[in-house]
Amino acid sequence: MRAGLLLWASVAGLAIASLLVGGAGFGIPDWLILWDIRVPRTALAILVGGGLGISGAVLQGALRNPLADPGLLGIGGCAAFGAILVFYWGISALFAPALPAGAMIGAALGCATLMAFAGQALSGPSLILAGIALSAFASAFIALALSLAPNPFALAEITFWLMGGLEDRSLSHLALAAPPILLGCAILLRLGRRLDALSLGESTAATLGLDVSRTLLLCCAGVTLAVGAGAAVAGGIGFVGLVVPHLLRPLVGQRPGAVLAPSLAGGAALLLGADLLARLAPLLLPLGSEPRLGVLTALLGAPFLVRIARQVAP
Amino acid sequence: MNWPVALVVQAFLCLMSCAPSFASGVVSLNLCTDQLLVLLAPERVAALEPLARDPALSFVAAEAAHLPMVRADAEAVLRLKPDLVLAGQYGAQMTVALLKARGLKIIQVEEPQDFVAIATQVMRIARLLGVEQRGAALVARMQARLAALPSRKRGSALVWEAGGWTSGPGSLADAALHAAGWRESGTGGRIGLEALLANPPDLLVTETAPSTPSMATNLAWHPALRGIARRTIPPELLTCGGPFSVGAAELLAR
Repeated sequence: MRAGLLLWASVAGLAIASLLVGGAGFGIPDWLILWDIRVPRTALAILVGGGLGISGAVLQGALRNPLADPGLLGIGGCAAFGAILVFYWGISALFAPALPAGAMIGAALGCATLMAFAGQALSGPSLILAGIALSAFASAFIALALSLAPNPFALAEITFWLMGGLEDRSLSHLALAAPPILLGCAILLRLGRRLDALSLGESTAATLGLDVSRTLLLCCAGVTLAVGAGAAVAGGIGFVGLVVPHLLRPLVGQRPGAVLAPSLAGGAALLLGADLLARLAPLLLPLGSEPRLGVLTALLGAPFLVRIARQVAP
Repeated sequence: MNWPVALVVQAFLCLMSCAPSFASGVVSLNLCTDQLLVLLAPERVAALEPLARDPALSFVAAEAAHLPMVRADAEAVLRLKPDLVLAGQYGAQMTVALLKARGLKIIQVEEPQDFVAIATQVMRIARLLGVEQRGAALVARMQARLAALPSRKRGSALVWEAGGWTSGPGSLADAALHAAGWRESGTGGRIGLEALLANPPDLLVTETAPSTPSMATNLAWHPALRGIARRTIPPELLTCGGPFSVGAAELLAR
């Protein structure tokens, strides 16, 4: 409980800092900049980061694999690919909710593919390898779709969809992404006891009265909503879902259900902090533009992945 | 000799006698030379670069829709056996080098950044094509339109292009702003949304919203910009410098 309070306090502190830093400099900005630019950016960092954090915790619990992460498993990439198809071919310009819808369809297909692999008793490293294959597929399709996109500027935006970012988002992005992310997080937060039962193994959980396939379906639905809608507005941000549960387990214990709520807060704090760093970098260093948000999370996450890989190595 | 044969013979003799000292089949490998070629001598076009058909980039998209196209690909260009190849200074440089090595006549032109340079370039290409009169007429019409612009001094204007890049001093957009009496406040670098709002110009100049979206072009329509006076310019007027670029100055002078 104390860990949770501490995490939410740090989210609040980072959010206030986030409202006071941006391209216009430090300090309290004009109302217009505050309300139209920094509020949506801060709120999106909290929502997208929280969604990624809890999705990682749920996937690690449900797949019983410490390397599970929506980015690493390709779910984020599939979501970005869905968003790209809808965005660059003008569908979301006609009907704005098509953007998160397209991303969620992509995420759902990615998630279903993975669960099908998991259903074939693919576990441990082989499931992660399948996820990496899915992720490579998604990256290739992202690059292909953007190089064929009708707008000549689309090609340069591959980096956004592969590396993510939250710069210059608006309240309309927030309105599109917030409802599905909140719904997804609500579904995922209620899965704690099911995941605890699942941690005993699928057959044991089934004898305890757990409907395993329904549990996996709920995981899929929650991850699809949270990660899909997040990727629609922030692109592909990796490693948050991997890192956060691992950082928190020493504080809250190993039980999968105990990691869920803290991972929500932890993911929000991590992405908010990374986004704050991205905005501080051009103010403090001679950089032409902000470093990509996904670059910062990868710089943090990749060494982490190596550490976890060494722990799980036989 | 029946008359169709006579006609063919006559045509052949004519081709021999008035054998062109200037290029007859011209390939253009660059959007900007495409447009000048179509404006000056559409009947000489052996092939244009495919972007010439894009109405969001090309002022002559309608005319180009009926003209043959070729990608900047050395094999495809060689098969057309052009007398002259027009190319830019950037892009397709490997193709240009290959074509040069095969002995083709290639003219590489710079991108003109003001109206004087546009006039010079139109006349240079007109001479190459042997259509000086058409070139002179195009230049005269452009200069008349420039002279007709009101010579009133206005405030500061910022040309904010896709992705937040600004046109700086010495650019074509800068020339159009000056011709319309505005003071350029761009630097040529990138200005972020927040920096723009913290220090807004009297006039924000953006491209007309394209029909196919990208994040870079959507930035200009961020809701936080609603309070700033804005003029939109169709991108084909300033993508390349040409006699049509005076249209941008006319829009800015309104």
